[in-house]
Amino acid sequence: MTATKISCDHMARVEGHGSIHVVIEDGQVQDVRMSVIEPARMFEAMVKGRSYLDSTYICSRICGICSENHVITDLKAIEQIFGIQVSRRTQLLRQLMVYGSYLQNHASHLFVFAVPDYLGHRSMFPLADTNPELLDKALRVKWLGNELCNRVAGRSIHPITAVVGGFTHEMSSAEYLEMADMMDEILPFAKEVVDLFNSFSVPDIAVKGEMLAMVEEGEYPIQSSDILKFLGSGDTFTALQRDDFIREYAVDHSAAFCSRTVKGDKPYFTGALARINASWDNLTSDAKLAAAKVGLRPPVLNPFKNNVAQAVELVDALVRCSEICCELAEGEGTSVPEPFKVCAGHGIGVTEAPRGIVFHEVTLDDDGKVVNANIMTPTCQNMANLEVDARTTVDYLLEKGTPEDVIRLQVEKLVRAYDPCFSCSVH
Amino acid sequence: MTTFSPTSTLATRQIPRVAVFSFASCFGCQLQITNKEQYLLDVVGQIELVFWSMTSSAKLPEDYDVAIIEGALTTEADVETVRHIREVADTLITIGACANGAGIPGMAARDLSFHTQEVYGESVPSAAGKLVQPRSVRSVVDADFIVPCCPIDFYEFVDVLQQALMGSNKRTPSRSMCGECKANETQCFYERGQVCMGMVTMAGCHARCVNLGRPCSGCRGLSPSANLSSACDIVEGYGLDVDLFCQKLEMFNQTNPQYQEFMESRNQEVK
Repeated sequence: MTATKISCDHMARVEGHGSIHVVIEDGQVQDVRMSVIEPARMFEAMVKGRSYLDSTYICSRICGICSENHVITDLKAIEQIFGIQVSRRTQLLRQLMVYGSYLQNHASHLFVFAVPDYLGHRSMFPLADTNPELLDKALRVKWLGNELCNRVAGRSIHPITAVVGGFTHEMSSAEYLEMADMMDEILPFAKEVVDLFNSFSVPDIAVKGEMLAMVEEGEYPIQSSDILKFLGSGDTFTALQRDDFIREYAVDHSAAFCSRTVKGDKPYFTGALARINASWDNLTSDAKLAAAKVGLRPPVLNPFKNNVAQAVELVDALVRCSEICCELAEGEGTSVPEPFKVCAGHGIGVTEAPRGIVFHEVTLDDDGKVVNANIMTPTCQNMANLEVDARTTVDYLLEKGTPEDVIRLQVEKLVRAYDPCFSCSVH
Repeated sequence: MTTFSPTSTLATRQIPRVAVFSFASCFGCQLQITNKEQYLLDVVGQIELVFWSMTSSAKLPEDYDVAIIEGALTTEADVETVRHIREVADTLITIGACANGAGIPGMAARDLSFHTQEVYGESVPSAAGKLVQPRSVRSVVDADFIVPCCPIDFYEFVDVLQQALMGSNKRTPSRSMCGECKANETQCFYERGQVCMGMVTMAGCHARCVNLGRPCSGCRGLSPSANLSSACDIVEGYGLDVDLFCQKLEMFNQTNPQYQEFMESRNQEVK
């Protein structure tokens, strides 16, 4: 019997700390373990007994890269409890915050984390010599996402201005128009990014689990809806019905919780690829065209293609942000926080973070103090499915007689394609 | 008196070798370093970046000159690692509220077992490591330079890096934030009936949050000259909740001796 263990300890170029181990015996994969070795900070216990005002502020600190989503998801849960309907203007500003985080996240993931794998570098820095134009433009997209969040939310990491019911500050009309111009200017490059990532060859595998995405009639929703759909089974449910459809459980080899479907006990994928599959029809025409050109049409089940899906979302986000900025520049409506009365209750907020669905569940007492909180991040939800996909990938490569070092690299590429955020996953 | 001249090792070596480390945190401070894209390569060009696992798969070398550390320490292994880093590095820079004062992770310090029980129940996964009371990097080893705030400000980081690499007599202000609001001519939150942490928090961020319509949360940490008991009198004078003020104080200062001593005497008074 020959036994091999492929270990990628403390993987580089990911958000946070994680290791993956694959045990192969006699040419068969015996075991796959994705271990998140991120320190436990225990946010759910931290916010207990604190005011709803502090809860959002603290929960933002779950993750620097996903802070826009954590804030908006927490605000949605609290607004559900207080019965607040936010204005269209506030909705649009929140949309900009999430898209801003898509632009900076997807650009970081694609160029800082993923691209070195495909160009044979250890980091993106050699690109400064080999392809300075590509690096310049990639950093420009990342900058634009950050700048959008800076101007809308006061800061790209841990937003300041987004509060229960609205915003405490807004940029000027001239600034909105300036943002729109900058979005339009970089759009042609984003389209090239779709082609670039599609040109990288990847193992031909398919996700065996489910896919989960937010859905809304006629929309490509990222924060506006409360309805979720498992794309395989077609099961559709609201955020408040989550526990009837999703089960969270602990494993010893990882500090992060894992998730499976209640019905059929399946692991599932959430993220850009699931969103593209769920709402392809509702992409902007530029994004749809860019996707169609590279053959990215539903159903796309290869998890490596999540990189291409993210590139398509860059195109989509740029077009939409430009439109939203132009609308906001007109100055109609208000984002001044809606008046509300603090009351007890239970709410579950949900948004589509760059890397997938995130839930914040909050129970408040009469004084608006947190009695209970539960946070489910996309990376937690993706872990079980990632282990299955890693197994599928290694099986596929073994069958082709692939050498061990190449298998290791492909496993790392797979983990990166999921765009995990380990710091989020242990919170 | 503290001098800001570079250490001899740094002065004799042309390009300082820099390693970036991360412990319990949101990763936000590391990201802030990459978030001024137009200057990132200028900064990286000044140094030899020998280890930064977020951006490169290069392995940690045995020797480096400057260590930049983000995050609070929450496991036995973390504490050992930081001691080792201190031994190797000539210059140690702590960045962000977590590394400087245990920050948000430090909120679990008061009652660690309650927090683990709430999240994991009886069995904490072995992958989480041997947990210790969350603590700041600076409570375990000395830092030569600090960059405060949650998250750090990029320009302040560059300032501090420059101090560390080239020497500079620029000092970080230690006064409290109220003067900044007066200079900015922003209305005081206490006048609007809201608790703000600015009056006891170190100045230096130009009151960023207040300028954008939100009270200060105190993420720069306590000003050494803060008078906490007189601050409580002011809060009371405005008819606001002193307990709420103290709870907010805890958020970024729970492992700060200045805060701990104050709370101890306050609790005794209550008794």
